[in-house]
Amino acid sequence: MSAARIVKEVKGYHAFIKFLIGIVMVGVIAGMVRFIFGLGVTTNLNDTYPWGLWISFDVVTAVPLAAGAFTLGAIVHVFHIKKLEPLVRPAIVTGFLGYSLVCVGLILDLGQPHKGWQVLRPDYWNLHSPMFEVSMCVMAYTTVLFLEFLPPVAEKFGWHVPLRVLRWLEMPLVIAAAAISTLHQSSLGTFFLIAVDKLHNLWYSPLLPLLFWMSAICTGMCIIIIEATASHKYMGQPNEGELLRTLAKILPWALGAYLAVRAYSLIFMGKGPYFDRPGLTFSFMLELGIGFILPFIMFMQKSVRENDRRRNIAALLVIGGLVLNRFNVSMFGMMNEAEVYFPSIIETLVTLGIIAAHILLFVLIAKYFPIFEHHPETVDYTIPDRLHRTGEHKEKKSYKEQPVSQES
Amino acid sequence: MSTRKDFSRDKSFLIDMTKCTGCRGCQVACKQWNQLEAEQTEFFTGEGYQNPPAMSEYTFTRIKFRDYQKNGQNEFAFYKEMCMHCNEPACASVCPVGAFVKTEEGPVVYKSERCIGCRFCMIACPFNVPKYEWSKAFPLVKKCTGCYSRVKEGFAPACATACPTAITYGPREEMIKEAERRLGQYPDRYIHKVYGKEEAGGTSVIYLTNLPFDELGFKPVTMRALPGYTWDALRLVPGIFLAVGGGLSALSWFTHRRERLKREQAGEMVTESSAPQIEDTDRKEEQ
Ligand code: SF4
Ligand code: SF4
Ligand code: SF4
Repeated sequence: MSAARIVKEVKGYHAFIKFLIGIVMVGVIAGMVRFIFGLGVTTNLNDTYPWGLWISFDVVTAVPLAAGAFTLGAIVHVFHIKKLEPLVRPAIVTGFLGYSLVCVGLILDLGQPHKGWQVLRPDYWNLHSPMFEVSMCVMAYTTVLFLEFLPPVAEKFGWHVPLRVLRWLEMPLVIAAAAISTLHQSSLGTFFLIAVDKLHNLWYSPLLPLLFWMSAICTGMCIIIIEATASHKYMGQPNEGELLRTLAKILPWALGAYLAVRAYSLIFMGKGPYFDRPGLTFSFMLELGIGFILPFIMFMQKSVRENDRRRNIAALLVIGGLVLNRFNVSMFGMMNEAEVYFPSIIETLVTLGIIAAHILLFVLIAKYFPIFEHHPETVDYTIPDRLHRTGEHKEKKSYKEQPVSQES
Repeated sequence: MSTRKDFSRDKSFLIDMTKCTGCRGCQVACKQWNQLEAEQTEFFTGEGYQNPPAMSEYTFTRIKFRDYQKNGQNEFAFYKEMCMHCNEPACASVCPVGAFVKTEEGPVVYKSERCIGCRFCMIACPFNVPKYEWSKAFPLVKKCTGCYSRVKEGFAPACATACPTAITYGPREEMIKEAERRLGQYPDRYIHKVYGKEEAGGTSVIYLTNLPFDELGFKPVTMRALPGYTWDALRLVPGIFLAVGGGLSALSWFTHRRERLKREQAGEMVTESSAPQIEDTDRKEEQ
């Protein structure tokens, strides 16, 4: 593509996409400012709060938000709930973007980013470190997601041989994804096990790793619900309501199990005092009540599962609950009353840029690659051959693209 | 990480706060030996008379002041803040690149060339000891080195050498014995506790005081060595990996097989007619 064509193409974008591009650019500039002037000047981090927004959101929260890929992959391929398959690709794209941006967030947060690769040096390995485990897993999983993300690219450009190799790798990758994800989703909870006497009793629990893993699975499914509905509504993608209903049927079970373990860990494994700090009590109630119990009850109702709007609301509540939970554990619950941390402008702009980059890249990828058009129930999957299908995708795609370039 | 179990010969500090006069010779000696920059400070910015207001990248040790009333008299109590050189250090256990090491001699040292700057050590340390070079563009972690370079050569640490009254330095076992002897000999001079014997699983800095420890600003810490808390979860990692991987593989093999059988029964025609097609396209591909 020549530069002129790209410019023309970009000019034709919807105003919202242009807005996103603007935010991403601001974020990139903020990131550069951070590298030029250093962490101390550009962030509100200090010796009391060595971890701030970037760890709490860009890592600890973003990783579970990208959990849809492995959850759905396992549901579809291992448990053979094949009708959900059309949702797998969007979930993988979300996951791949999410993890790539987690890596960006981590690099921004490291004080010695140029030495980050040293985690890979076998003579430095420290198997006792949850951080070691998470960084290894995140790298491995980003690679897996990249491979899982390749098929639509290969389809688009008609690379037949790689497509077949990838098709053959599909199952091993799905299983690797589930195993690696289980490890690092839970190990993010292990991070805070060492914060004995620092993390507030409402959240400190030896079961944190298990809880982190379970809530990641619930959220992964909710993200898929939101994403599929939004792409239907705003991007003219096919309506997957039927499939989402199936997904919504699994959710009350997953949420119920999570709540049961959470209650068990608080009642039988925790130690008080619990309600000694009103702010934290409020945050806890909000998280658990509105973020987990309410949507749990909602998803139990058939009327919610079958109604696009209500199902979306319930899914959004779970996502909100998870975000608040991760912030409670990694930020609010770790604060002492005397000194409060609040993210600086640079920290906020970078995080906003990362969120915008995620949405922007998703929209662009969905625009140019066959992400949603992939309805494999029409494909005979037992035979590792979709070559004749590949052509079809391509035609359909290029046909769809035409109006866009004409508009501009 | 070291897997040592016996810490009795580790060189340790016995700091008797009742004998501390608040001269801050240790603070000065530490700055000099470690060539740390001076900090511009103001009085009364922290909790009391102490200066600077907190340990930092420039201050590895600090005397905290605490005034209280005894028999209608104003009295001072002191507390020397520094790295505790834990037997099983949390900072070492969480570091992804093993930058913290508990040495055979006792001090917990930091290998800056390894550090990637994730600051997990700062989160993990139960005494909030590691500090960061926030003033730098590419910061490293800073903390009391236990004067390892001196200890290695058979000298006592700079602060212990400078202290005229309160610090004794020697094997941990002997320091604990000496602390207990003092507690036994002068029971009403001390709070009956050897701080550091069990705290955080045992440390190489041991305190005696006459004021309750929390009043002096000692943090409440667990008696269990901290690495165990995370290791409880992490040691399950290989098992979980194999269980999830193996379980899902078995499950998917099973569901696939069941479906294949079903399909074979349902219509063998379909499979047969589409099979040759692949070979055809394959051949084209190769050409
Ligand atoms: S006091 Fe903190 S920094 Fe010092 S050895 Fe123990 S855990 Fe490490
Ligand atoms: S900041 Fe450096 S020393 Fe501390 S845990 Fe991270 S890599 Fe290790
Ligand atoms: S042991 Fe050395 S580095 Fe540590 S406080 Fe004493 S003088 Fe400073």
